[in-house]
Amino acid sequence: MDYFLQQLVNGITLGGVYALIALGYTMVYGIIQLINFAHGEFFAAGGYMGVIIISYLSAQGMSPVLCIALGLGLTMGYCALLAMAVEKVAYKPLRSSSRLSVLLSALGMSIFLQNGLMLTQGVYDKAYPTEMTAGGFHFGNVVVSYMQIYIVLITAALLICLNLLVFKTRIGKAMRATAQDKVMSALVGINSNKIISLTFAIGAGLAAAAGIMVGFYYGSVNYSMGFVPGIKAFAAAVLGGIGNITGAMVGGLIIGMVEIFAAGYLSSEYKDVFAFIILIAVLYFRPTGIMGENVDDTRV
Amino acid sequence: MKRILALILVLAMTLASASAFAETLKLGSMSPLTGPYAADGNDIANGVRTAIEVVKAEGGIPGFDDITLSAQDTACDPRQAVAAANKLINEEVAAVIGAYCSSATLPASETLDEEDIIMLTPGSTNEKVTERGLKNIFRTCGRDDDQSKAALRFMKEYLKAKTIYLVDDKTAYSQGLADNVEKGCPAAGIKVLGHEHVNQGDKDFSAVLTKVKAAKPDVFYVSLQNSATGALLIIQAKRMGIDAVYLAQDAVYHPQLIKIAKKDANGMFLTFGYVDPNTPSYKQFIKFYEPKYGKPGAYSTYAYDSAMAYMAAVKKAGSTDLDKVRAALLSMEFKGASKSFKYKENGDSGSNYIIRKIENGKYVDFWNAQTGKKY
Repeated sequence: MDYFLQQLVNGITLGGVYALIALGYTMVYGIIQLINFAHGEFFAAGGYMGVIIISYLSAQGMSPVLCIALGLGLTMGYCALLAMAVEKVAYKPLRSSSRLSVLLSALGMSIFLQNGLMLTQGVYDKAYPTEMTAGGFHFGNVVVSYMQIYIVLITAALLICLNLLVFKTRIGKAMRATAQDKVMSALVGINSNKIISLTFAIGAGLAAAAGIMVGFYYGSVNYSMGFVPGIKAFAAAVLGGIGNITGAMVGGLIIGMVEIFAAGYLSSEYKDVFAFIILIAVLYFRPTGIMGENVDDTRV
Repeated sequence: MKRILALILVLAMTLASASAFAETLKLGSMSPLTGPYAADGNDIANGVRTAIEVVKAEGGIPGFDDITLSAQDTACDPRQAVAAANKLINEEVAAVIGAYCSSATLPASETLDEEDIIMLTPGSTNEKVTERGLKNIFRTCGRDDDQSKAALRFMKEYLKAKTIYLVDDKTAYSQGLADNVEKGCPAAGIKVLGHEHVNQGDKDFSAVLTKVKAAKPDVFYVSLQNSATGALLIIQAKRMGIDAVYLAQDAVYHPQLIKIAKKDANGMFLTFGYVDPNTPSYKQFIKFYEPKYGKPGAYSTYAYDSAMAYMAAVKKAGSTDLDKVRAALLSMEFKGASKSFKYKENGDSGSNYIIRKIENGKYVDFWNAQTGKKY
């Protein structure tokens, strides 16, 4: 029983991280039908910017909580700006061309950003000040570290904020309108370029938050860290129904759990195999994903 | 008049022959400069660069007016390694220092062998590397079968371990080594509780570690291809509360292991080739290396020694011809920065694995696997 509970805790944490990254994929896909392959790089860039800012702040003698909160905010802002810049340079000029050319542009951007990170930050891993968040609770044999709790809490908070933004504000309404029909929404006075830009910014901000939490949770970041979680999160987004916010959360949790339980009860060699078997099975029986991809109301 | 003409002719001929002899010695290096093993790969390239600087500072090699390096990236990938080998062949290098991953060295050495280009590997410890009868391959580091013996002897005689759990990440090197250890366990009276394989590039080991924790082994053997991944695994294992003895190997050995895992790394044991930092060769190496490239990694000295040995052999042979250089390499004794060694017929240079321990954020020599005594 302890074993099961421990694996459950592991699975929820990993799922939370995937969910945060998956949101960026799903939002961008929802609004311009683009699979943004560069999204994993925002996650990596966030991880790096986070450790740079947090180390600097803590060297100034700031308290750990303040350091992390400020670091999280600044890094999310930085990645949001980075994503807007990427969108302006790599995607906007191609908006009227075929979907394939935008996709290739996204792949190119991913390689560019990853190598940029390698050249500016070096090939060595950068260590996180893990002592800031060390420790945890012991329930019998089950260990729940503070960082796991933070990941779940911060992920939940960000998801609630995102839902409020999308469904309760005028900006959210404009985003949903743009997703449904770009031309029509432009006719009623919505600046669709601005809305698209904003969508990229929000997605990248969430990925940046995931980058920092992963840095603290695992202990270090490196320039190539965006690739694998990027693929997994993309799978999560498709699993939940791409374009669907709730779907991305559900998909992320499922992929995380399946991976952990496959590794825990079968063999860790096959954990990715099982994660993708689930994906294929769901797509076979429900091509639009678990939550469906064309529910206009919930689609951004 | 005739005399003067003859003199001029002789002069012209010597000048011509001098310029024909004065050529550039082109070396190539192969190691993962990008990807997850980029840290070790750059250590290797920098080790070779340092060797070239040292030789140049000492006056170079007679007959060559310059020594250059073409550093190629293998990304630890067999296919890219062969492509890198072909690129170096086109660039007409005289010798190649590399590669790092055994899975890259194995195919690349065969490509280079077809062109009679010598290859000195500073880091590929898989046994097969020198057991294919290739005459172009030399190995400056140790061998995995010797490394696993050192680990087994340490577990049996010093730790008196009864049970073990192994984790590797499925490369020719990391899995080969873990398999060797596993095979030797019954003879050493150690029960294998489990042997898990994780994927390369994984960051989350919580599921596997929960398994290890439930099995309660005496020794937790970590055989990963990369030190940063090793650090992540150690951090998570400590957080999970696995209180086994942690034993790892030479690919996990790197200054960045301590840098990332910090105090979680304390108390951990690693098998690693013995390096004496007090030899004149090491001191000379570090004098040139550290100001430019920072603290040397696990394989910097081996790469440096490989390049130094090759250049010394070229100097002795007076040629870059494979057979002549090979004969020179086999006949010479080297006092390297990593160890003193002499290449054997199959290209091996002997292993000198010892057990090192991490104490207070530093690597210290702990146990001599040859004598079975503590340092």
